[in-house]
Amino acid sequence: MQFEVIARCHTTRARVSRMTLAHGTTVLPTFMPVATQAAIKGLTSQQMESLGVTLILNNTYHLNLRPGLKVLAEAGGAHKFQGWDRNLLTDSGGFQLVSLSKFTTITEEGALFASPFTGEPTMLTPEESISIQHTIGADIIMQLDDVVSSLTTGTRVEEAMKRSVRWLDRCIVQHKKAGRQDTQNLFAIVQGGLDPNLRDQCLDAMIERQDGVAGYAIGGLSGGEEKDIFWRIIKQCADKLPEERPRYSMGIGFAEDLLVCVALGVDMADCVFPTRTARFGVALTHDGPLNLKLSKHARDFRTLDEKCPCPTCSDKTSRAMLHHIVTHETSGAHALTLHNVIFQAQVMGQAREAIIAGTFPEYLRSFFARYFGESGYPEWCVNALRSVGVDLLEGDPDGKIIPGSGVRWDYAQGS
Amino acid sequence: MTQPASFTFSLTSPTARYGPRLGKIALRRPGSTVDLQIPTPGLLTATSRGVVPHLSRDHHRLTDAIRWVNIPFETFLEHNPPVPTLQPGQNPLHTFLGFPPGKHLLSISARDPYDGREMPPNGKSHVSVYCLRGVRKLSPTDWSSYVLSCQPDVVFALSDIPFTDPPYSQKRLTKSIERSATWLSTILRSETRQNVFVQMAGGTCLPARKAFSDSLLERLDGPEADAIKPLTTLDEGVRGYTFDLVPLRQCLETQAKTSHTLSHHEIVPLIKTSLDPLSEQKIRLINSTESPHEILHYISHVGIDIFDARWAQRAADIGVALDFAFPVRSTGAQKDIGHCLYDTQYTLDFSPLADSFRGALSQGSTSPICPCAACSPVVPATRIYHGADTPVVLGEEPRKEAGTIYRPHVSRAYIHHLLHTHEMSAHALLVMHNLAVLDAFFAGVRKLISDAPERWEAEVLKFSEEYDESVTVFHQARASWREVELARGKGRLAREKEKKDAEGLATAA
Ligand SMILES: [Zn+2]
Ligand SMILES: [Zn+2]
Repeated sequence: MQFEVIARCHTTRARVSRMTLAHGTTVLPTFMPVATQAAIKGLTSQQMESLGVTLILNNTYHLNLRPGLKVLAEAGGAHKFQGWDRNLLTDSGGFQLVSLSKFTTITEEGALFASPFTGEPTMLTPEESISIQHTIGADIIMQLDDVVSSLTTGTRVEEAMKRSVRWLDRCIVQHKKAGRQDTQNLFAIVQGGLDPNLRDQCLDAMIERQDGVAGYAIGGLSGGEEKDIFWRIIKQCADKLPEERPRYSMGIGFAEDLLVCVALGVDMADCVFPTRTARFGVALTHDGPLNLKLSKHARDFRTLDEKCPCPTCSDKTSRAMLHHIVTHETSGAHALTLHNVIFQAQVMGQAREAIIAGTFPEYLRSFFARYFGESGYPEWCVNALRSVGVDLLEGDPDGKIIPGSGVRWDYAQGS
Repeated sequence: MTQPASFTFSLTSPTARYGPRLGKIALRRPGSTVDLQIPTPGLLTATSRGVVPHLSRDHHRLTDAIRWVNIPFETFLEHNPPVPTLQPGQNPLHTFLGFPPGKHLLSISARDPYDGREMPPNGKSHVSVYCLRGVRKLSPTDWSSYVLSCQPDVVFALSDIPFTDPPYSQKRLTKSIERSATWLSTILRSETRQNVFVQMAGGTCLPARKAFSDSLLERLDGPEADAIKPLTTLDEGVRGYTFDLVPLRQCLETQAKTSHTLSHHEIVPLIKTSLDPLSEQKIRLINSTESPHEILHYISHVGIDIFDARWAQRAADIGVALDFAFPVRSTGAQKDIGHCLYDTQYTLDFSPLADSFRGALSQGSTSPICPCAACSPVVPATRIYHGADTPVVLGEEPRKEAGTIYRPHVSRAYIHHLLHTHEMSAHALLVMHNLAVLDAFFAGVRKLISDAPERWEAEVLKFSEEYDESVTVFHQARASWREVELARGKGRLAREKEKKDAEGLATAA
């Protein structure tokens, strides 16, 4: 991996960097759409390429079950299997194992679970996870970590953090042994729950291992914790992680979360949210989400967003037409998926341009003003951005602040 | 009032009244000097709720097989007035649905010709149509006004085809042909001259069919004649004749005259009875054939010009990649007309979707190239930039090659995987492939009629020997599709139960 910071925000911790991997260069910060089963829902690899996406995510747990490693090996890896010529990241499979498989027990050796096919006890060790990811062949692979929910408290959190460090060592050894450092890049995952102390210990231990890892992910968040705690942990990690490594915040997808994380120094994020919400008929826009199922859209001949360059908007597909097909026809989902993938990419792309131009604080203020305008700014965003020197209320002294997560929905206006 | 496009159909080969024939549709829009041309025999793409199922707009534009697109209008009757009638600007229907007027001929029919569900009876001045909110009554005058506002290129006149409980009495059939003729005259009365196609009424009763055709040719007088002036007969205002097979099959099945798959032998005489008195210069269209064999039968024995592709599109829904060619290129053991890609034999099959076609980059095959986005994916000529990600910033060489750059084909193994993981991309890729295969089939049909008509019968025979006519692959596919859907349902139920239990625990704690 070649990683080079090319611009920094003069106020916040945001930065623009160039990350070059075996399948080309991706400019960061970026959002990674999730192709769990080796396809972005309903789209083809060529469509993703035409959308200007250069990095997507596959899930190891799912690909290991289907199509399985034999197929992927014979296909020549996941890139060839799905016809994707750009960069690819796989997770370790650990998170899905814990959230999707019933009887998972974590031992020092690895994660013990019941095989979904046979019910047989099966062990996923750190070594095994790495060698599965070697077969899949993604440009970025993740260490197996000991995942606990962000709501877990007590000694289990510390145990999981320490074990994640030990497992990282085993992953590094396995990765080196296979001689894959030139084509695949191993990322560590910082754990430690919501406890700043544990996070600090984990950061210290993992930074010591910097030579063995190409980048760092911040794990163990986005599990329903208080947003005010979430951003503080992100900030703590991003502040401490080495400048010369990309930082990846796992499971982040709401626009406000993305921009706060970018301001705190995060470079990459992924989430199923934009593509999933598209299937439920919701389009993301700079004025907030639009729920196309609502009958208020039935005779609205406007596009989703006049300025959006996505195929749906540039073809002037009307909200009325989308209302007619969403949740009834798969092409309704496709139209919104194309749009939402572009929305995420635009939010991040405009952030990059603003960072380079030295106008990132202004970009944050105008984005939040438009996105949350009437409903009010989420308090945690205001706090988080103040911590890096940006006051969302600057020039908007009457701006409303709302406590809680402040997530924008378009469900209120009954259908 | 905007004039509809001019629609001309010309036969380009000398032909017998009934038999294989070549033709050409030329559509010219007002103000334009170029024709949109559709050679016949050819296909018509079916839609659902105004879209080609599974295809995004960029995908349907990539698919050159899609030229004539039919829009069943009934789903739009969920709102009154129907929303497409409110679309501002030129070519409202094309605009609303996203079909470029330069590329697509759009027709509208009141009902989905494939839908044979039992319906409440039609009335003296309405057809019962079906939409998500239930049954609606559509009157001939409303139909005319929707056509005026939507400006489709072709409109199917309303007709009184019963979907109650066959068989139908003599009295019902008489009513059917009278109403159908009256409703046809209503649309012909329109302020602007539309391109009207008429459903040939009369059911499975030969005298009734003949009577309907005769009524089209009858010289009208009195107020009836005044209504359609300057036309003197209904037929003068008709551009083409349509035959929907679904209601005919339903009647034949209740009369126990025939089994479903062999119904075309019974239907040919019905169609010919309708066509006998009429001009052979007009276009003939059939909806709801179900196999290439059936299509060849109607070309051979009637000379049908346009066939809907619904069966090939539906095959994509159930995981079938079509694989057949006409004329047959290689002979051997009898084959299926496609591959049910749910089948585990495709788990490790990395070949292109069909044996009779190759991908643009496939090696070691001399078959013609399938142009679809699955067999011959094309590197997008441009991509969207989002900020500081142009090739300059990325340090990428700008693209040098001017022409099309292909990518390797999508493999059967990949589609197999997508089908088993319920990924919608499988269906998008299969729809584009199946339409391309069917389009190539029609191109083969046209070439043979044009170059070697004397070989027609022998080639049709060879085709029926080469490919399984009972289309068992569709039956297999339907079963596999159901199995996988059911397994998914089970998984989902288990997950939901788990979630409920967990929530129960949470409340208890
Ligand atoms: Zn858009
Ligand atoms: Zn193909």
